[in-house]
Amino acid sequence: MSRVLATYNIKGGVGKTSAAVNLSYLAARGGARTLLWDLDPQGASTYLFRIRPKVRGGGRRLVRLKTRADDLIKGTDYLGLDLLPADFSYRHMDLALDGTKRPTARLARVLKPLYRHYDYIFLDCPPSISLVSESVFEAADALLVPIIPATLSSRTFAQLEELVAGGPQVLAFFSMVEVRKSLHREVMAELRARHVTMLGAAIPAADEVERMGVDRSVVAEIAPGGRAALAYEALWWDVKRRLDLGGRR
Amino acid sequence: MASHAHDYLLPARVTLEEAGELLSEHLDLRQGAVSSAERRFYDTFDGLLRAAGLAAAYERGRLSVTDSSSGELRAAAELAEPPERLLAYELPHGPLRGVLEPVVELRALLPLVHLATDVRELGVVDAADKIVVRIVLERPAVIIASGRRIGLAARARLGPVRGYEDELLDVRGTLEAGLGLVEAERTVLDEAVLAAGEQLGGVSSKIDLRLRADQRADAAAAAVLGRLLEVIEANLPGTIADVDSEFLHDFRVAVRRSRAVQRELKGVFPPAQLASHRGELRWLQQVTGPSRDLDVYVLDFDAFRLTVPERFQADLDPLLSVLRGRRLAARRAMVRELRSDRAREAISGWGSFIERLESLPEEGRVDAARPIGELAGERIVKVYRRMLRMGRAIDASSPPEAYHELRKKGKELRYLLELLAAPVFPGEVVKPMVRSLKSLQDVLGRHQDREVQVATLRSLAGEVSALPAGAVALMAMGVLVDWLLQDERAARDEFAAVFTEFASPEQRSLVKDTFR
Repeated sequence: MSRVLATYNIKGGVGKTSAAVNLSYLAARGGARTLLWDLDPQGASTYLFRIRPKVRGGGRRLVRLKTRADDLIKGTDYLGLDLLPADFSYRHMDLALDGTKRPTARLARVLKPLYRHYDYIFLDCPPSISLVSESVFEAADALLVPIIPATLSSRTFAQLEELVAGGPQVLAFFSMVEVRKSLHREVMAELRARHVTMLGAAIPAADEVERMGVDRSVVAEIAPGGRAALAYEALWWDVKRRLDLGGRR
Repeated sequence: MASHAHDYLLPARVTLEEAGELLSEHLDLRQGAVSSAERRFYDTFDGLLRAAGLAAAYERGRLSVTDSSSGELRAAAELAEPPERLLAYELPHGPLRGVLEPVVELRALLPLVHLATDVRELGVVDAADKIVVRIVLERPAVIIASGRRIGLAARARLGPVRGYEDELLDVRGTLEAGLGLVEAERTVLDEAVLAAGEQLGGVSSKIDLRLRADQRADAAAAAVLGRLLEVIEANLPGTIADVDSEFLHDFRVAVRRSRAVQRELKGVFPPAQLASHRGELRWLQQVTGPSRDLDVYVLDFDAFRLTVPERFQADLDPLLSVLRGRRLAARRAMVRELRSDRAREAISGWGSFIERLESLPEEGRVDAARPIGELAGERIVKVYRRMLRMGRAIDASSPPEAYHELRKKGKELRYLLELLAAPVFPGEVVKPMVRSLKSLQDVLGRHQDREVQVATLRSLAGEVSALPAGAVALMAMGVLVDWLLQDERAARDEFAAVFTEFASPEQRSLVKDTFR
């Protein structure tokens, strides 16, 4: 059976896609059968894996169970890691969901036949609060929430915990961290003190993370042994540990 | 064959570098890492993984199980050292055990071959530089016990990438038509097993013989007994070494089947010599009996535990430790006997006797020249009728021995049907008959097992009570005995129904029409 992990934040540009791509890569490298569904119509994960952002029949037919997710999956360059690509039509996914019965249960229904084929399913979510995100909350075992240590981030975290209360585990981690900035250090200390679910590992604002878009690759290949690669490994280790403490779908 | 459709043999004496260059003249390739890997493959003695289309290999601290045809990973787990022997039911619960246990059950995984492989990974890429087909060039060598390496033909393995099936077809076309490469007929693992001088698919304990109905009975008996002797000999070393419980089990089944043939076809043997061989096989059966009974007790212990209420289950631990101790003692005694000159001579003497059987004078061997179909049919009818008489005489007041004797006859009938009738009589008669006999035997077997288990528990009571927590264990054993007696009664209650089916008028006339 699968564990479903969604990288999610209401805000954009916080490192969701980097986390989804690098963590799913590490999961597969560790021997787990792994799928990443790029739910963001911008298709950044799909681009990074050099796969065409296109699903036959579009998002509407997929969430209405007219096409099988299984038929749309593509293998990436990495053994054990598959991708369900983004499609520009995902920008209307809210509308497509809205017309269905119990729209918030839809993504889980799309994924259900895949559970026995994958140990981990990552969902790379678009930044928004919408039917899509509600459907993600229902499908996911855990939300992986990248947080930039800046003012208001504590508020973002609190809002999110309230939003998904009773739903998936919320596992937040610091992203795009610049340790030389005293503000970053202060905010991190404060949030870690206040929220026990804040993960220990922090992803630095490193060159190799930015290079992902240019090289279309994962940090472990761009700069193996670099700060970012090590930070993602630590993060993945921590996520797995927390999942083992929590439940399984 | 579809299962190895993606393995192509590379021309002899081409290095992996040269092969990579050759391919790059025809395909857009991303050159990947060059590496070497050592893998130790595992399978059960009887090749259960191969038969299920799986392969288990240990490499760099990990044991993984893959699908042999697609190469797809089914499960893996970390293991510090390559195991000498691995029992799936002893693994921690998890994906690896989940994949292995239903396939191998009680059988141990044993080292099969040790392969050292030079590997070069390539990727066929599309216009976006995305890998659409994986190609692994590999040059494998088998490492045999002396450390010597036997090189195998180098291969190009095409690994499909999901969603790029058309590209895979294109690449296959290029390799076949453009480069003239040919698909390998066997998997690397099979090639390695053959190169190491081992048998593909392991050593089977199945009998599976071709007999003709008009064949001389002594020739048919010699063929069946010869095959049974192979099974006995093949399972002896694993029995002595306690590799897994199935060696002893298969050894005993083959001995028991041989004894059934000795009894049922006694007219094909010279009577005086047969008597001494019968004695020796009976002895082999006796010296291995206690060890097998205790194997079953220990293996089934978890199931027994579940028959007592949950709060008493842990109280049975002292019983388990006594059973384990007894099992070890019984094994030691058995191994001593099986290593003795008597055992060696019993087996080799029996072997040369059945080898000579057909050439022995026919005097005293009254059934030797009769067609096996006729003789086997006659015996089946006789044993079946005998069972009808014995079964009809059983009622609620019958002693346990009456059930036990019927069960022993039932085993004889089953062996006659499986060994001698199955190859020469129509399957549509033999198979349903074996099935209905099996239902009867299951009920009789349960009855007998419970009877023996209750007696064993009683005999262990003294020893258990002397242990710390022994008194509490005795109370839990009382609950267990109660359940065993209940189940024995239930088996008695079920007996009438299964026997009625076995003895039905349709079954009787089928036996009469087929085997006479």
